[in-house]
Amino acid sequence: MSTLVLAVPSKGRLQENANAFFARAGLDVVRGRGSRDYRGTLAGLEGVEIAFLSASEIVSQLAAGTAHMGVTGEDLVRETLPDADAKVEMLTPLGFGHANVVVAVPQAWIDVRNMTDLEDVAAAYRARRSERMRVATKYVNLTRRFFAEQGVTDYRIVESLGATEGAPAAGQAELIVDITTTGATLAANALKVLDDGIMLRSEANLVASVTADWNERARNLARLILGRIAAEEEARTTRQLQAVIGGDRGRIVAEAQKMFEARTPFGTAKDGPLTLVVPKKKVADLADWLISRGADHVSVAQLDYVFQAKNELFDRLAARIG
Amino acid sequence: MDRTGQTAADSPEMAGRREAVLAHLVAAGYLRREPPILQPASIFLDLAGEDIRGRLYLTSDSAGAEYCLRPEYTIPACRTYLASPDAGRPASLSYLGPVFRFRQGAPAEFHQAGLESFGRTDREAADAEVMTLALEAAEQALARPLCVRIGDAGLFTRLLETLDLPPVWLRRIRRGHALGQPIAKILDREDNASTADHSGVLAALAGADRNGARALVQDLLSIAGISSVGGRSANEIAERYLEQASAQAGGGVSAQKRAILENFLKISGDPDKASRALRKLAKDAKLDLSAALDGFESRLNFIAARGFDMSRLVFSAAFARNLDYYTGFVFEAFENADDMRAIVGGGRYDRLMTTLGASVEIPAVGAAIWCDRLLDKGGK
Repeated sequence: MSTLVLAVPSKGRLQENANAFFARAGLDVVRGRGSRDYRGTLAGLEGVEIAFLSASEIVSQLAAGTAHMGVTGEDLVRETLPDADAKVEMLTPLGFGHANVVVAVPQAWIDVRNMTDLEDVAAAYRARRSERMRVATKYVNLTRRFFAEQGVTDYRIVESLGATEGAPAAGQAELIVDITTTGATLAANALKVLDDGIMLRSEANLVASVTADWNERARNLARLILGRIAAEEEARTTRQLQAVIGGDRGRIVAEAQKMFEARTPFGTAKDGPLTLVVPKKKVADLADWLISRGADHVSVAQLDYVFQAKNELFDRLAARIG
Repeated sequence: MDRTGQTAADSPEMAGRREAVLAHLVAAGYLRREPPILQPASIFLDLAGEDIRGRLYLTSDSAGAEYCLRPEYTIPACRTYLASPDAGRPASLSYLGPVFRFRQGAPAEFHQAGLESFGRTDREAADAEVMTLALEAAEQALARPLCVRIGDAGLFTRLLETLDLPPVWLRRIRRGHALGQPIAKILDREDNASTADHSGVLAALAGADRNGARALVQDLLSIAGISSVGGRSANEIAERYLEQASAQAGGGVSAQKRAILENFLKISGDPDKASRALRKLAKDAKLDLSAALDGFESRLNFIAARGFDMSRLVFSAAFARNLDYYTGFVFEAFENADDMRAIVGGGRYDRLMTTLGASVEIPAVGAAIWCDRLLDKGGK
């Protein structure tokens, strides 16, 4: 009997990316009996069951509490759950599955650039035809919420479950709300995104259910999994510098902290090289700066994992499940 | 939360009150006629907009047609009437039953009673009858009087007509007013950011006629290599540019018209005094509101003739919000003057029947009583 259910996408790019993400954290997703099986395990972590599901099914299972954690797009979470923040916790964005949910209109509408234009045009459209302008989308709830915020009321939603971008050309709708990564599909269908028409910048997230059965064992498993994910994330986003440097170390460290967010997890002993951990982006600047401050030699290493007593991902989960 | 649970509204006492409301309406000659609970969803979405979707209880059949549980009674009552052999003839009917709406912190299923008067051309008399009957029914059930607010969508519509505003401003004022925005906010709105981007086009169009504007838009589209114009024609795009060009060229709302609008919407209080203020406003501005004002006063007379205490009525010119739906008299009754939840509400909607498919306009006025709000003082 499993104690923690982890829901991951069952197919496509999202699945490959999710598997790669877990693998980087040293968590190997093992699919039972080949690619058609819908259940799997995490190698070496007994009690964890992997459920291979469609991205939208993952959202409903998290909301229902039948899965403890899952990988799915924020767009689906926000669309499917009206009270998303009450049911699930977005633990961390995963850096893949980037896509925007956007409002797109025909390119021929050269007078329509933004939502204010759209509001005006929608009202005129209704006044002229005594029909509302139609918006094709599968994001019914997101659309309704966004349009209401923008004061656009004269429209009707036409639910579209596939090839939404073709709806205006097919005469099924005047405009669309859809997900796009590069905008190429929209352009190919003679559509353009409104300047302020980005409703949601979505990416794949690690999402936790607030309503699942978080018994002691499930918590411990979550702590282990999230600890490894955090360790890999910390290692990936930081670099470790070692510098041979003399002078006033206390002062150098204080300045490096202020200027480069550098930390000294191994202390600032007077002898031997000085070890600093710094965000990846700042590594070259910090190295240059250290040399300008008299360092002879600076080496930079990428670590595989950085395990820390403080497990921020788990703390965030724990804060929600009490 | 579970929105289906038993509530105070389900007590025998509450059931007795709503039956008494219905009995009062039936005794006045409004025969009970119950429309179906299951209704086509598209009608409500067309009329009320997508915002109502989140409050509807939706379902669909195996062919994919979308239905909802009725969220109110007026539209279902109109549809039943239009489908009956009486369609087009005067009809007075009443109803009592459950309606279904998602409401924050309140049960989704609750009772409404009400009455509708269809096909009567003596509109002001019908208005007076519907309002007084609905109020009597509710006040008898409550055993205490309510505060009543009245308005007239016909007056505001007529004012907008006589002011002869450019179409773009007429549309914006109607919409802004429906959203509860003051005139200043509607007229001072930052115009479309894109107007600035398109200043070249707008300058080129200043003074152009429709044909010239359409030709320019068509040229622009063909130069850009854009062929398909989903939904809106090049003509519509050209017209919008012309509207914007004329708005930029000072074709907006003059300070004088703006003052008239603001002064009109400020008029409120005792209905007879308000009527005199409205007449003065019309005279000073040389606007012909006489037919609408005659109707307004005639309605007050019919209400008084029914023995209604006129000092209980408070008029507000700004109260008639939704000019797309209501075409004339509107009223609401509250527990007290600063209560936001109406216990009784109604009005005239002469255009609704044609929207629902009638071939000719059929006058219609009605009112609904929120039976779950027929509580004892103190909310019990």
